[in-house]
Amino acid sequence: MNDEHRARDPVNDEDALEDMLRHAAGIIDPVPAHLLQTAVEAYALNTLDAELAELTFDSLDQSAAVRGAGQPRMLTFLGHGLTLDLEITAGRLVGQLIPPQTAEIEILGSRQITITTDTLGRFTCEHVATGPFSLSCKADGVVITTEWLTV
Amino acid sequence: MDRDSIGKLFQAAVGGDAAAWKALVEGLSPLVWSVVRAHGLTEADGQEVYQTTWFRFAQHLRRIREPEKAGSWLASTARHECLKVIKATRRLAPTDDPEVLDRAGDDRTPEQSVIDAEEAAAEAERVRQVWSAFQELGENCKRLLRVLMASPPPSYQEVSAALGIAVGSIGPIRQRCLRRLRAHLAEQGIR
Repeated sequence: MNDEHRARDPVNDEDALEDMLRHAAGIIDPVPAHLLQTAVEAYALNTLDAELAELTFDSLDQSAAVRGAGQPRMLTFLGHGLTLDLEITAGRLVGQLIPPQTAEIEILGSRQITITTDTLGRFTCEHVATGPFSLSCKADGVVITTEWLTV
Repeated sequence: MDRDSIGKLFQAAVGGDAAAWKALVEGLSPLVWSVVRAHGLTEADGQEVYQTTWFRFAQHLRRIREPEKAGSWLASTARHECLKVIKATRRLAPTDDPEVLDRAGDDRTPEQSVIDAEEAAAEAERVRQVWSAFQELGENCKRLLRVLMASPPPSYQEVSAALGIAVGSIGPIRQRCLRRLRAHLAEQGIR
């Protein structure tokens, strides 16, 4: 169905009512100006040349039985032959890079944090800020960056 | 925004045109915001989902294959993030109480100040009445209408991506919801 240009009859009462709602929303519930600005500034993110690591597992996508109450959020990212397993519980982030190796991890978000994994590819960060979050991993000359997520 | 202008701005943004990116953000932000609002997230959660959606869009800019569908991509991404936030919130706080679409008059925008001027008092009153009648509708109607009222009007493909409902069912539900809204307004003697 081609609906890209919805037929709009100016004397149609429903269209007029929808337009009135649009007008009201623009006044009562507009996009907050500071948010619009963060989206404009996000353009800089598109220049990052790192390989994008894809989210291949998210415990929030699983059924309630698997998730369970109080369980950590578990995420797996894949990119450039590297697997990154993350567990997040109330601001505490625990990660494991596979294959195990030393790497530099940069957490991008409202606060930027850089940490180094141990020789087995493990790392912990105690105070991850809430909000949009992406993780960049530099290992053996390769850089992968995860998709942005809300945590 | 129509598909042609979205496609053109998108290509220009991929080519390094920051002004085109800004125009895309301005043109499609009301849609993203409407999707967040339609899902009834709290103010803080809604802002995070809005940001995550745009950050991810910027990140994927060179990888999106159908630029003219950028609106649907954004709507769908925002929807999925909203659903995850809702799941995570329920898990942590089973009795959570999101501020569902309830925002009348907490922030005063420049437009608000303008319509508060005396000569526009009647129009302001009408806007408030329409908004309050809208908020009395059932959850399904509020969800659909909140997305439809994005500016510029979203296509049904975008609405479908925003709410996970079939394109073909949007028209009939929209009609029913707008009729109900009209009835609410009529009850209060508002035309």
